[in-house]
Amino acid sequence: MMLLGLDFGWLADPLYIRWLINGTLMTILISVVGMAAAGAVGVAGAAVIHLRVPVLHDLARLLVELFRNTPPLVQLFFLYFMLSDMGLSFTDAAGRSIPLFGGFTCVVLSLGLYNGAVAVEIIRSGITAVPRQTIEGARSLGYSRAQIFREIELPMALRLTMPAMTNNIVSLIKTSAQASLIAVADVMYYASQIMLENFRNLEVMLVIWIIYLLIASGFAGAARMVEHLLRIPGFGSQS
Amino acid sequence: MIRGELGFLLRGIVGVNVLLGLVLLTVYGHDLPSLLGVLAARSPQLLFGSARLAEFGGGFSANILISLAAMALAMVAGTLLGNGLISPSLAIKGPCAAAMNVLRNSPWLVILYAMLYLLPFEFRLFGHSFNFSPFLKAVVGLSLPIAANFAEIFRGGVNSIPSGQWESARALGYRRVQILRHIVIPQSIPLMIPNIMSLYAALFIGTSLVVVTGTSDVLSVTRTIIATEGERIATGLYIYVLALFFIFCFPIAVASRWLELRLQSRA
Repeated sequence: MMLLGLDFGWLADPLYIRWLINGTLMTILISVVGMAAAGAVGVAGAAVIHLRVPVLHDLARLLVELFRNTPPLVQLFFLYFMLSDMGLSFTDAAGRSIPLFGGFTCVVLSLGLYNGAVAVEIIRSGITAVPRQTIEGARSLGYSRAQIFREIELPMALRLTMPAMTNNIVSLIKTSAQASLIAVADVMYYASQIMLENFRNLEVMLVIWIIYLLIASGFAGAARMVEHLLRIPGFGSQS
Repeated sequence: MIRGELGFLLRGIVGVNVLLGLVLLTVYGHDLPSLLGVLAARSPQLLFGSARLAEFGGGFSANILISLAAMALAMVAGTLLGNGLISPSLAIKGPCAAAMNVLRNSPWLVILYAMLYLLPFEFRLFGHSFNFSPFLKAVVGLSLPIAANFAEIFRGGVNSIPSGQWESARALGYRRVQILRHIVIPQSIPLMIPNIMSLYAALFIGTSLVVVTGTSDVLSVTRTIIATEGERIATGLYIYVLALFFIFCFPIAVASRWLELRLQSRA
């Protein structure tokens, strides 16, 4: 298979295809678990900051600024070395000692922290977009501050900020490519394995590029559908 | 308002560094003084790439140089792409929009790797041959996604100018290029500046990825030091690098937020 002077013959090898499929599934798994972690971090952080929980409020703001303004790659290396330094491990049924924080956990944690910190800011900006009258109405109905947050501000903020969240999800998928640098077997990792074997560096990278584009546009498309379903009528742009 | 932002900036920088210091203390405990000694001794290498301060262009300074060069390249390419995006002709707009979407949705790491293999070792220009060093490849690789984002900012800025400006200029007999050059773009530049600053901060954060291209950036230096000093020092070193990036990027983020607030309050 030749194309523009590039040799894609290696794509016929079933082993490479299996590697690429396994890697793609791993990337999708990392992305999904990372999104769940980032969502949890985002909601928890926004709650702590918005409700002005003493001490935690200041800590959360510092952590958000720290994680938003430093490279996720350095965060990943830092977590990887620190958590393996602490040497937490558990013993499985066969009696082997397995580190509690392996590469996968570190990647998910770092994605959850970095994109979670971005999510905190997105949710907070959404909360400011909730009309004051709605909140005053809730207060006059006897809702407490926590109830207002849980039942009015948070749901509305999440629905209002779906476009920004979609961008955050795409960014998370793109960032997940650095998992390969701590030897987590995602699609990028298998790509470097294939390159080591057949030296078709450029061709392999182009294929990986297309795979990432497909994954990212798949998730972005799904997020846009959710966005459309959850749109609050009469709010924001009606495109 | 600038007072509040300045206070936030100082509190953020002090607070985050205290926080990182506490993490260092809990991880290293009694070994902390010896670790700090090693960090201090290695600082010139981490910051400038060599033990002598006279040399420049390695370590953290390489990250700064790469980010500046990539930003300059991306602004030129992004302006061209952005002009394509606002073109009335679909034959120009379509391909530009497609290129922008592809570049914006691809992982930077993949683009960097692809550029590493796509660009030749050397290229000829005006009869001279230039080496495509890892440094230059890193600059080109990083500037591509940034150019796409810059084009999007450019389009957003131009589109936020009220259409009345276009109509009145047309009534005065300006041509499209003249309207863009003399009326619309000068007005949209202030609107773009906060976004451009955020984009630069994102690019600077992204320069951590150039470790894969083999330039002597701060992460490559960190890895070399870990290899010589042992893995025990790794956590401390990475905390140091986190602090470096934070001190560089956080003021940019605060300044861009402040500018944006000021623009909003003026509008």
